[in-house]
Amino acid sequence: MTAASPLPKAAAAPATGARLLVETLEALGVEVVFGYPGGAIMPVYDALTAARFKHVLVRHEQAAAFAADAYARVTGKCGVCLATSGPGATNLVTGIANAMMDSVPMVAITGNVASPLMGTDAFQEIDILGVTLPIVKHSWIVRDPNDIPAILQEAFYTATSGRPGPVLIDLPKDVQVSAAAAPRDFNPPLEQTRRIDPAQLRRAESAIGAAERPLLYIGGGVRIANAVEDVRAFAEATGIPAVSTLQGLGVLGPDWPGHLGMLGMHGLRAANEAVQQSDLLIVLGARFDDRATGKLTEFAPHARIIHIDVDAAEIDKLRHAHVPITGDLKTVLAALKPRKPAIETWRAQCEAAIAAHAFDYNAPGDGVYAPALLNALSQAAGDAFVAACDVGQHQMWAAQHCRFASPSAHLTSGGLGAMGYGLPAGIGAKLARPDAHVVTISGDGSFAMNIQELATLRRYNIPLKIVLLDNSMLGLVRQWQELFFEQNYSEVDLSDNPDFASVATAFGIEAFRITKREDVEAGIARLLAAPGPCLAHVLINPMENVWPLVPPGKSNTEMMHGAAR
Amino acid sequence: MTETFTIQIDRAEGSLQRLIGLIERRGFHIDRMTLADTGAHREVRLAIRPRDNSRSCDVLGRQIDRLIGVRRIAPAPASNAFAEEASVCPA
Ligand SMILES: Cc1ncc(C[n+]2csc(CCOP(=O)(O)OP(=O)(O)O)c2C)c(N)n1
Repeated sequence: MTAASPLPKAAAAPATGARLLVETLEALGVEVVFGYPGGAIMPVYDALTAARFKHVLVRHEQAAAFAADAYARVTGKCGVCLATSGPGATNLVTGIANAMMDSVPMVAITGNVASPLMGTDAFQEIDILGVTLPIVKHSWIVRDPNDIPAILQEAFYTATSGRPGPVLIDLPKDVQVSAAAAPRDFNPPLEQTRRIDPAQLRRAESAIGAAERPLLYIGGGVRIANAVEDVRAFAEATGIPAVSTLQGLGVLGPDWPGHLGMLGMHGLRAANEAVQQSDLLIVLGARFDDRATGKLTEFAPHARIIHIDVDAAEIDKLRHAHVPITGDLKTVLAALKPRKPAIETWRAQCEAAIAAHAFDYNAPGDGVYAPALLNALSQAAGDAFVAACDVGQHQMWAAQHCRFASPSAHLTSGGLGAMGYGLPAGIGAKLARPDAHVVTISGDGSFAMNIQELATLRRYNIPLKIVLLDNSMLGLVRQWQELFFEQNYSEVDLSDNPDFASVATAFGIEAFRITKREDVEAGIARLLAAPGPCLAHVLINPMENVWPLVPPGKSNTEMMHGAAR
Repeated sequence: MTETFTIQIDRAEGSLQRLIGLIERRGFHIDRMTLADTGAHREVRLAIRPRDNSRSCDVLGRQIDRLIGVRRIAPAPASNAFAEEASVCPA
């Protein structure tokens, strides 16, 4: 990471650790920090009033981490969140885990009690370094204020380089207040361009040239590697059909000929069947997640695997790679020059399957059919559409039915599946891309998990749009109870929900309700045209299910289908 | 089934926890362990055993290798097997 301006040097009167932290963040080009104050981080908040970057005060630290995460996904830069020790730090944990699971660059900064008190169970003392060890790429406790610039620079470098991820910096209070007489800088290691094994490249080329039923398996790594255009060019040049993971959606648009759509548990039948028939899977920045593969031993049983990933530890983790290629995807694709495989029959077969298994938006009755609404919403918002999803049925419907112009238009908690992501993620995304139609797509269960962030929307007047699909249920759990637990509905009824439109209004947010199918079009238009933040409270059928579905633990060939209700 | 690794890690706060936590989380038992100071770094020698046969020591080696603060990881030669008295952490 190169600094945007020269790093602060010791001035006549040495700066405190807190001051140095703020100055280093400025020098690193940070534009926005999401945070929440408290005792152990007060010296930093004291220094913040003079900061040149924006601080967004959220109403729960989890939201700070989620907003920083979405900001990072949209900009490709590092997200930054800030919290106090103890409960502030532990409130960040879910957001840090989310960033880890989806490889999002984030720097989380926590205050801690003064060094002499650490290890004594002091008030609000938590070993946050220990708590977060499994969910960070790296972490530091700062012991000397002179180390602050170096550690921050290393933290940004670590979070963004290679396979990105979250890092944590724990800052004891005494380090924040003591003077730094001789701050030091970090010298990033010389970027070693890792040599891509030419023998593997040649093997990949001959495998591709000889394949009869090759398939691209596109994952979230494509966005992270900034290789969307490269993958599009490769798909076009070779004519190889493709499937996408949840995080790979948007790399090839839904209108891309030969794109079979999402694979996996809630994937399309055409996509899952193509994988099962394929004789060569070309895996681009994907990791054989169980939600994508179904029963692993029965996944793509006839396929040889070319696995391309920047992280060597992903190769062979779950599925043996016949051709392993470790390296940056852009570089690999530039070096890969296969001859065009002769696959006209296979391509025709895939295209026929796409047409045969296309979604049907007819549903009985005159109630709102969520898949149709989401499809219409994304069409109306067009290429400027960015969805920040929560977790549940609505998330899967968004993945299945929205049109995404790029993978950063689809923000979703994929690896962790954390309810509560949608609203704070929408905040982070809208701040990052004020020009875009950023829409939080939430469910009534998920929305309640970070509903307090409506106050953040109001305070900063962030014109985020919210589609709250209210089925008065923990819908996805209810669906599993219906299908796999003999309709023994246990603790999924949310029919005593508050009136969400009134709640939003009480926070000072414009809100309205959509209850009938005939009101959907006008509702979408009103939502997208609203000048400020706006919530559409959409009432949908509590018994609606997400189809298709592969039962947990089953092979992707065992897809269940059902009708709209 | 036991494999022995020699790993050089930075002498940094948390580096040992980070290494040991990773190994156990990824599904391996640690049967033996020694820690020595080699000046600039710490050298950890570990005898590990997968918890079930779906775990690969190769993949674990690469997961260790990508930890920030791990300088070097190599399988320890068989001739350098653990001496009983060197074991600080018997199974
Ligand atoms: C923090 C968290 N707790 C629990 C779950 C388990 N879970 C997954 S989906 C779901 C129901 C979500 O309900 P809602 O947000 O209303 O969405 P719907 O499925 O009804 O569209 C639950 C409880 C989770 N993913 N995250």
